[in-house]
Amino acid sequence: MKTSNGVKTKNLETGYMGEAIAKKYLEDNGYRVVELNYRTKYAEIDLIAYDKDVLVFIEVRTKIGEQFGTPEETINKNKISRLIRNAEAYIAIKNCQKECRIDAFCVVLDKNRKVERRNHYKNITL
Amino acid sequence: MLIKVSSASNSGLQTIAIDVEINVAGKGLPAFEIIGLPNKAVDESRDRVKTAIINSHIQFPSRRITINLAPADIPKEGSFYDLPIAVGILASVVGYQLPEESLFFGELSLDGTLRHTRGALLLSLFAKEKGIKNIFVPKASANEAAIVKGVNVYPIESLNQLSSYFSGEIDLQPAKYIEAKDDWMNAQAEFDMAEILGQEQAKRAAEISASGGHNLFLVGTPGSGKTMLARALAGILPSLSEKESLEVTKIYSASGRIPPEGSLVKTRPFRAPHHTISRVGLIGGSTKPQPGEVSLSHRGILFLDEFSEFPRSVLEALRQPLEDGSLTISRSRERVTYPSRFVLIASANPCPCGYLHHPKKPCLCTSREVEKYRKRVSGPILDRIDLHIDVPVVDIKELAKDRRLKDELEPSAIIRGRVIRARETQKNRFFDDGIHTNAEMKNKHIKKHCPLSKEVRHLLQQAGMNFQLSARSYYKMIKVARTIADLDDSRDITVSHMAEALQYRPRVQERE
Repeated sequence: MKTSNGVKTKNLETGYMGEAIAKKYLEDNGYRVVELNYRTKYAEIDLIAYDKDVLVFIEVRTKIGEQFGTPEETINKNKISRLIRNAEAYIAIKNCQKECRIDAFCVVLDKNRKVERRNHYKNITL
Repeated sequence: MLIKVSSASNSGLQTIAIDVEINVAGKGLPAFEIIGLPNKAVDESRDRVKTAIINSHIQFPSRRITINLAPADIPKEGSFYDLPIAVGILASVVGYQLPEESLFFGELSLDGTLRHTRGALLLSLFAKEKGIKNIFVPKASANEAAIVKGVNVYPIESLNQLSSYFSGEIDLQPAKYIEAKDDWMNAQAEFDMAEILGQEQAKRAAEISASGGHNLFLVGTPGSGKTMLARALAGILPSLSEKESLEVTKIYSASGRIPPEGSLVKTRPFRAPHHTISRVGLIGGSTKPQPGEVSLSHRGILFLDEFSEFPRSVLEALRQPLEDGSLTISRSRERVTYPSRFVLIASANPCPCGYLHHPKKPCLCTSREVEKYRKRVSGPILDRIDLHIDVPVVDIKELAKDRRLKDELEPSAIIRGRVIRARETQKNRFFDDGIHTNAEMKNKHIKKHCPLSKEVRHLLQQAGMNFQLSARSYYKMIKVARTIADLDDSRDITVSHMAEALQYRPRVQERE
């Protein structure tokens, strides 16, 4: 990757901020978070939580300002198939026999890192 | 939970049973998959079904849904799997008890209503054949399916309606059986025979053609009224019988040509394709063989105007359907047989400039050009046409007398009366032969129904030798003579009948 180290770190920070916001929001809404940044062989799952009895995999997308595109736009077909593959890997490793689903959580921050909007999209794979 | 819903798929005019198996799994990531060789239209049914269910205010299950279309090795196409898939999903979510011995068939609209779907008649016939009691079809297709007796056709408007029926909230009445009553309509013709001035011989040939189902070839100069005559011919045809109507409706249903709310096809088809038609367009074809113009004009008229302008390869393809009355389209994946018992009406100019043998205008073509023009239509095709007739130029003086003459000319309705009587005679004659018209007679029928007296046989032999008639033409002459005798209400073919028939012999082989 050509980006300088500084920029990359900044993006990572933004990401962690978004994940923290998502975690807090979900816990406030009765979700039981079980994993944060779970690493499988392929990639990372941002958040894994229980919504009552349903195991939910949450992909968090964070952006500062929307002038270069919305976070929703970054979840394309390719990304979704990767999410499904990751989730299936997790299910296989943990031998999970429960109902599952994949959610997306989009956070937009303003220049001062304040939350401009956050949206929870349930069940994005169906 | 596993649900099985029955449906059926049409391939040509054949129908095979398809089981739609729906499994809604209790674990795993939510997904919606269709397996069993679906094509694009079937695969897209996922989005239609999903949206239709959501728009019917029914919760779409966020579970792993797998649809299997069995038998899994036959490629599936078409949009009619929407309804069985949706019904299966509803049944597994809401837990309806689906009625037994039922077929489901129909395309969904995004708002949950059902759209007119092609092939409903074939489904209904299939249900009857297999003894299946109920079929559920879109309301717009119910009239088409309801012409089959003994099958309960349930017209479905929307998923909501069907869902309330399953849960017992409302009662559904099957569509009323549509009886093939005698309200057959005569084909609407553009022109009446009374509008055509002069051309008495051509009109007579048209009458013979309509009576016996004989193919007709009209040759004449431009503007002499060939096209008008052919179009007027549609108006003197008898109406379809119940059996014929069903045959025609089957073809039209299979190819999706019956309009929404439409039912039996009641008029004889009249098809007039342009001469730029492709071979597949005329004969039928494509990977999923579709009927061509020859099948769409089954039991009706196929009018090929400017016959010699058609590409030769297209015309040659007509040989088999002309002779057999049906044709089999073979492709690597499928073989489909469509009936094609039509009356061919062809018209052409005698030469490229069009004025050969014109009494006043000189023909500008060289003899080589004329020869070349004639050769565009091959002998084998012309040999299969029973009636050949020259349409002469109409005298301008005759046209000027128009007003007075018009009342004396026979209108189509009277000619049709004679045609119907002749057809009646044929119907009685071929009662147990399985054919309808004189033109369909095979050699064994000719032996049985057309005994020739010694004089007639002698005349035919003489003519055969003089005009170098082929064996096929020889028999065609007998068939035409039989029709002329029928028009004359005569039991036997007399010398005058045969003499008239011989006037319509093929003339191409005769050199001038």
